[in-house]
Amino acid sequence: MRDVTLAIAGSGGDGVITAGDFIVQAAARKGLNAFMLKSYGPQIRGGESSARIRISDQPIYSQGDFVDFLVVFSWKDFVRFIDEIQLRKGAVVLYDEADTTPPEEFPIDKDLGVELIAVPFKKMASEEIKVPLTKNMVALGVIAELLHLPLDGIKDAVMKKFGKRKPEAAQVNIEAIDLGKKWVDDNLPDGTQIVLEAEGTGEPKLVMTGDDAVAYGALHAGVKVFAGYPITPASPILEFLSKWLPHFGGAVVQTEDEIAAITYAIGASWAGKQAMTASSGPGIALKLEALGLAAIAEIPLVVVNVQRVGPSTGIPSKSEQADLFQAVGGTPGDVPRVVLAPSDVEDNFQVAVEAFYLAEKYQIPVIILSDQFLGERSETIDPEILFARKRVIARQLAKPSDLKDYKRYKLTDTGVSPMTVPGMKGGQYITSGLEHHEDGRPTSSGTLHQIMSEKRERKMPLIAEESGFVRIYGDEDAELAVLAWGSSKGAVREAIEKAREEGIKVKAIVPQLIYPIPEKKLDAALKGVKRAVVIELSFGAQFYRYLRAYYDGLPKETYSYARSGANPLLVSEVLEAIKQHAGGMDAPQEA
Amino acid sequence: MEPVKLTAKDYKTSVPIVWCPGCGDFGVLNAMQQAAAELAVPPENLMVVSGIGCSSRIAGYVNAFGFNTIHGRALPIASGAKLARPEMTVWAAGGDGDGYSIGTNHFVHTIRRNADITYIVMDNHIYGLTKGQVSPTTPHGDYTKSTPMGNPDRPLNPLALALELGATFIAQGFSGNVKHLRDLIVKGTQHKGFSFINVKSPCVTFRGRQEFNVVREHGVYLDESHDPTDWNQAHEVTQWKEKIPLGVIYQIHGVPTLDQIADDLRHKAQEKQQFKSSKDLLEIFR
Repeated sequence: MRDVTLAIAGSGGDGVITAGDFIVQAAARKGLNAFMLKSYGPQIRGGESSARIRISDQPIYSQGDFVDFLVVFSWKDFVRFIDEIQLRKGAVVLYDEADTTPPEEFPIDKDLGVELIAVPFKKMASEEIKVPLTKNMVALGVIAELLHLPLDGIKDAVMKKFGKRKPEAAQVNIEAIDLGKKWVDDNLPDGTQIVLEAEGTGEPKLVMTGDDAVAYGALHAGVKVFAGYPITPASPILEFLSKWLPHFGGAVVQTEDEIAAITYAIGASWAGKQAMTASSGPGIALKLEALGLAAIAEIPLVVVNVQRVGPSTGIPSKSEQADLFQAVGGTPGDVPRVVLAPSDVEDNFQVAVEAFYLAEKYQIPVIILSDQFLGERSETIDPEILFARKRVIARQLAKPSDLKDYKRYKLTDTGVSPMTVPGMKGGQYITSGLEHHEDGRPTSSGTLHQIMSEKRERKMPLIAEESGFVRIYGDEDAELAVLAWGSSKGAVREAIEKAREEGIKVKAIVPQLIYPIPEKKLDAALKGVKRAVVIELSFGAQFYRYLRAYYDGLPKETYSYARSGANPLLVSEVLEAIKQHAGGMDAPQEA
Repeated sequence: MEPVKLTAKDYKTSVPIVWCPGCGDFGVLNAMQQAAAELAVPPENLMVVSGIGCSSRIAGYVNAFGFNTIHGRALPIASGAKLARPEMTVWAAGGDGDGYSIGTNHFVHTIRRNADITYIVMDNHIYGLTKGQVSPTTPHGDYTKSTPMGNPDRPLNPLALALELGATFIAQGFSGNVKHLRDLIVKGTQHKGFSFINVKSPCVTFRGRQEFNVVREHGVYLDESHDPTDWNQAHEVTQWKEKIPLGVIYQIHGVPTLDQIADDLRHKAQEKQQFKSSKDLLEIFR
């Protein structure tokens, strides 16, 4: 196989995620593509966790619907992921012989004809390595040998993690890996039916999570103050910037609450420095009043929402796309804002750069709608691709001529007014959450409120024009289109390819700019489309309803495929939705 | 060239003042403008951040970078501004409802971080802008529009709270004594760290003119016998029941400030590892 999906399930202490990380890094070193999705229960330690890793020499867009190769440390833990781990027919399943569940009670469909192999993971780690915690490393050796993963790459990754700080730990782990390999050589000389037959390019790739990518993108864009409050699944952004932003002259504050986080950022930006905050849905809800402040005071600001399952606490560790209405419509009043949606790990970086560009150029709050599925996954990335787009700008300051009789909210054709920062003589002004005159003085005049609302709104079509990046995949002239956003892109893109292989003419349209709607680019993408299916992980079909309400260009026949989140979108369900709506149009042409 | 001497007039603005005639906040405004002149801080280097309430309108009345923000959030916005631009003078201002009710969490943590800003609270014991509801410092038993049977709650003691939390500068002023208040603001601004000034600033409309007399009758100006570096003395003063202390109650030096800590972290980080550009950070993902 050139495209293998493997899953490892166990308890938190089993080191499942660590093992997964090493596999991904090993693949990256060989120039292979890899994708890892972590999944875990609510317990901090000792709870169940799973790592799902897909490796291929072809581009990977999704987590893979079916698992080809499964490693189970405990059947009890595996059962918790039974919704997420669907085995392929003929899959290979390794399980720890220490688990005393009788084989007839294994929670596996007998019709799948899986190849079951008992391995003494625990025994080898305890009795031979004498460090029970190395069970995951023994398993790594077994997996690598059976699947033909690059063993040297895995060892390199282990050395990188432990080599300098804990050389003894590195040594023990490597012994454990070798022991696992030897066990395969001694006990399964013929291997199994599943083997990865993909050669990497040899050009090493980077491994990044979506949360790290958005944080790194912000750092590259010039963020100088970051304020955040811990929340799953956005905390890695706070952690990344806490570690690295001081190296680049910035400051990070972990504030007392979500409101303080966004208001610190607003204060810092008003004072002249690029600023950002990040959270997840419930935390964003708390920030929304302050978002309105940034909007009326026209203060550049970037807010990241790594969406999770809601409402309220929902399922904090799982993904959903149901904060769209909150992003485009939350906050009292008519609030001009920008909503950008990254669609994969690399895009998290690009969107962060774009967000600062728009925030600074248009003096407007920008929301980045990431989600847990993007934020906590790891992907391999080509290093060159990250810096290809040049969108980094500094604060756009008022010119000396603006400072004579300075008007902070001067009416202009673009809606963008000259902005000063403290220290600029003659540039001082009053700003507030109050409606105001051109010079910032508060007003309660309805006429002025209308004029100022129009001024702020004038930025929106310019943003739509400038930043309306829309991805299009598949047949350009298809009459059937799938509309999707954010992390749904992966499964949709793969499903499009599958549908086309089956003779269905179809294309996928994925806008990066969600609000304002990039109308012209969407119009162009939808030209000739007679039927569309809007696909999303929101039970309330927020994207479908949003497009219906805000966009006039949808084909008359537009359908919704929407379900609640938590379980990632599958290629197969998207394909099913496509097939369901493909009838009666675009019949495959005879060659 | 000799620098032009700044006067209080240089800190006035053309923004129309919305306060009622006789409002205590006029005294605070005068004291702030005089203090700015005394400190000779150029208007463009002064940032005045306020929350919501009658008193929070003050951000528009001082010629500076003024920001009349949202309810309760003056402190984190001022802290963020100071963190971004440590070279600027940052004042935060607001009322008792803004600071001791909706914004209490920020009061607690701004003290903890010792952000180098001066926080002037115009404490009038009432919600004035919303026309007369009970506030966290309204005395027990007082009748207000939202306590028609008398205030059932005990009032909060902001001075004692600040002291317990480890504030590094605590003072109380009176809007009826502008000169004294001006001096407190000057001292507070010169203090390296969070300086907290609670100002008895009567609301003549909803609490009556006699509030001025209450402070005049019960106010006690702290003299040399009070040692503001002595925590126990300061504690005793904050517990006065009848008398109202006026002056610097507590002040200690040498506690690192929010922006100093950020600066230290930058130095430590850069000593450990230097990057020429953000692109070099790519190495950590290999």
